[in-house]
Amino acid sequence: MHMANELLSVPIATGTLAIAAAGLAFICKKARQFIASDKFPLMGILGAFVFAAQMVNFQLPAMPGTSGHMVGAVLLAIILGPHLGAIVISSVVIIQCLIFQDGGLLALGCNIINMAIIPSYIGYFLYKSFTIGPFSSLRTYIGAMMACVIAIEAGAILVPIEAALSGVLVVPFSTFLITMLGVHFLVGFAEGLITLAVLGYLQQVRPDIVVDSLQGKVRLSRNAVFITLAVFTVVIGAGLSLVASGMPDGLEWSYAERPDQPDFKPIVSNVEPTVSAVDDFQTRYTPMPDYSIRTSKLGETNEKEQEIKTSAGWTSFAGVAGSGLTMLFIWMIVSFLRKKKSLEA
Amino acid sequence: MHHAYIDKFAYQDSPIHRLDGRVKFIVALTFTAVVVSLPRTSLSILTCYAVGPFTILVLGRIPLRFAFKHILLVCPFILVLALTCPLYDRTPVNVAFGLFLWQTSLGWMRCFTILGKFIVTMLALIALVSTTRFSNLLTGLHKLGVPKLLIIQLGFLYRYIFILIDSAHHILRARDGRKLTNLGFTAELKIAAAMLGSLLIRSIDSAERINIAMQARGFEGKWRSISKLKFRRCDLLFTLSAASFLFGLHFFIKPILL
Amino acid sequence: MSKAIEIENFSYEYPDGTLALCNICLNVEHSQRLALIGPNGAGKSTLLLAMAGFVKGTGKVFIDGLQINKKNFKKIRTLLGSCLENPDDQLFMPTLFDDVAFGPLNMGIEAEKVKKRVTEALKTVGLEGMADKAPHHLSAGQKRAAAIATILSMAPKIITLDEPDGSLDPRNRKNLIKLLAALPQTLIIATCDMNFAATIADRTVLLDEGYIIADDDVKKIMSDSKLMTEHGLEVPTQFKNGNYHNFKS
Repeated sequence: MHMANELLSVPIATGTLAIAAAGLAFICKKARQFIASDKFPLMGILGAFVFAAQMVNFQLPAMPGTSGHMVGAVLLAIILGPHLGAIVISSVVIIQCLIFQDGGLLALGCNIINMAIIPSYIGYFLYKSFTIGPFSSLRTYIGAMMACVIAIEAGAILVPIEAALSGVLVVPFSTFLITMLGVHFLVGFAEGLITLAVLGYLQQVRPDIVVDSLQGKVRLSRNAVFITLAVFTVVIGAGLSLVASGMPDGLEWSYAERPDQPDFKPIVSNVEPTVSAVDDFQTRYTPMPDYSIRTSKLGETNEKEQEIKTSAGWTSFAGVAGSGLTMLFIWMIVSFLRKKKSLEA
Repeated sequence: MHHAYIDKFAYQDSPIHRLDGRVKFIVALTFTAVVVSLPRTSLSILTCYAVGPFTILVLGRIPLRFAFKHILLVCPFILVLALTCPLYDRTPVNVAFGLFLWQTSLGWMRCFTILGKFIVTMLALIALVSTTRFSNLLTGLHKLGVPKLLIIQLGFLYRYIFILIDSAHHILRARDGRKLTNLGFTAELKIAAAMLGSLLIRSIDSAERINIAMQARGFEGKWRSISKLKFRRCDLLFTLSAASFLFGLHFFIKPILL
Repeated sequence: MSKAIEIENFSYEYPDGTLALCNICLNVEHSQRLALIGPNGAGKSTLLLAMAGFVKGTGKVFIDGLQINKKNFKKIRTLLGSCLENPDDQLFMPTLFDDVAFGPLNMGIEAEKVKKRVTEALKTVGLEGMADKAPHHLSAGQKRAAAIATILSMAPKIITLDEPDGSLDPRNRKNLIKLLAALPQTLIIATCDMNFAATIADRTVLLDEGYIIADDDVKKIMSDSKLMTEHGLEVPTQFKNGNYHNFKS
């Protein structure tokens, strides 16, 4: 669910960037107070582990042909605690952007909030609140499952919200929301399974690593997995249909009139003042777009309109051609200079 | 492409590579913001903006094929989103380009604008990271106010990603070499868990050894480093030319094209 | 004058109760080159860690006359540098420069002098001009050399190396031997490769199951084929001829 730059408007992007930066600064300040010096390498290498873990895929139950992989936010939060976990996953998101170009630079704030901060804290506290008290395998199971599914869904829910606030959504909000929730329910479910399985393995092989969070034995039974899947599907399905029916069809961020429904009026037209301000600004300063909304049927265009359009066509052509020539020119100059230099050397 | 060489171009040398990491980061961020806030109505203006990252890539000797291959690799999510636009927005529009005049839907125009913006901002990001060594970027980010703890964390992460991805490759190969049929869900999950678990244990053990290596060199919890960043005249020149490029496009070219 | 390393009756058990080192007594003179040989799991690495104070057992360890304890820990760091088995553990910073500068900076040396030390250390190991490289772009041999440079920049009197020849091809091994032979410091080298040990060291300590089995001149121990095979080792090629007859009869 890496957010791209194009799903955000500048005010929302800078706003989330500021929130993420402030959040991270606060968490780092807090972590500095209790972090032991031997945690530095551990955190770094666990972050790298997340990258490696994403490559280990496994078959999902009841869905042949699909495979899941680990995200690791909840597992790290369980091992390191929520603060350090959030820092580690944030660093993973930053590296994904800066080294692998996954997720845009401007969307970094959103991605840190959606994928690192929210899942780490929600996951940790859900897990802890379920596993408090004497150890029971069932409680650990439910705790880890809930933590993973809800933590990931909570992050996923934010993606359509942020896009909607930015006013760039063409897809109806409810459709986008339901798709995101549905896909990430599967992701969260797979995450829950693998997190539990890894916890079980660690407990068998190296109990010292998970000593604070697990005292007994974790068992994964096939029936339990299928029951959870069924319960979650029913709950989420019911929830989603409620959400969907509660949202009128008109929650499309529509900008233009709909020709198929002449008396259609947008019910929600960019409530956010900044968004509408940006929109206003853009419409005011875009007198001659590349394209124009058709006012009459093709072929019936009057001459004046035709003239305007042709001239617009020529300006945009000049823009593209000019840019292309500029690039060609720059490339030629640079390669000429380089050749000359290598000849001299 | 071997993953450890994903950042190999950052280790080349060119006038662009020698620029201050801070300056490049801020310019890339501003550029991205400007491009994203461009109206959704114009495709041709995007090509004008593309001149910027293109120049940096050419000056920095980054092969354009590398950049485009990379964009192709990270585009699926945005591609799906862009392609849903024509489904939802069928307002008919007339498009004029040079001599040509044709009719299409607003959804398609949106789709192409989104993809165009994606390509241009990605080019800028690639231009930034493939002309800046990650360590320089980190020092730059630290100077810009990113907390030290996060910088240390990013440094370690960058150092060990490639090693751990390698070990993951190795155990995956070991699994695929022996697993000949689909074993069913429980067995598959158990195998994956054992692989991840052993990878995790290996990571934790190696963190312990790194810890010894750090202490053996006198580390006691206070992180010291030498800053090699210096804002020089060429950085100023770069900032000024980037600024005038953006201003020029905004005030002179944009009004003509839009 | 105090010895470089003095170990008196040092014993150590792993947390699970297995004996790792038993009653070790060892003296090492200044600028001696000592090869610590023995089969896998003999306790070589643990002994090296004990010399650096990372393993706390019973008995005393003195470095350059200074007993290892909590108070002296920082001083010991400047006297003895330990290079770990895996260079990927030893090199943990994003660039080579940062890595080599890490030790001197922690010693509280000022920036200009640190830069000088880094340049010198990299020159000694033959990595001049590579200060800005990232460790994952180095070859196996370069990583090994870089790991040694991180220790050299701290200018210790004693250097311990754990299997420095591991996974090196013959050319890189030759370079490493050349590099180590030129170092003036006291060297303690743990290794499984007898040819390597025989070339580099002037004294050998044979360790097995936590005990010191033999401690003598390199040639004397290594040409004793009975002793060597008993402890799962082999006689290096350069000492083989002399013993050939004994072995046959």
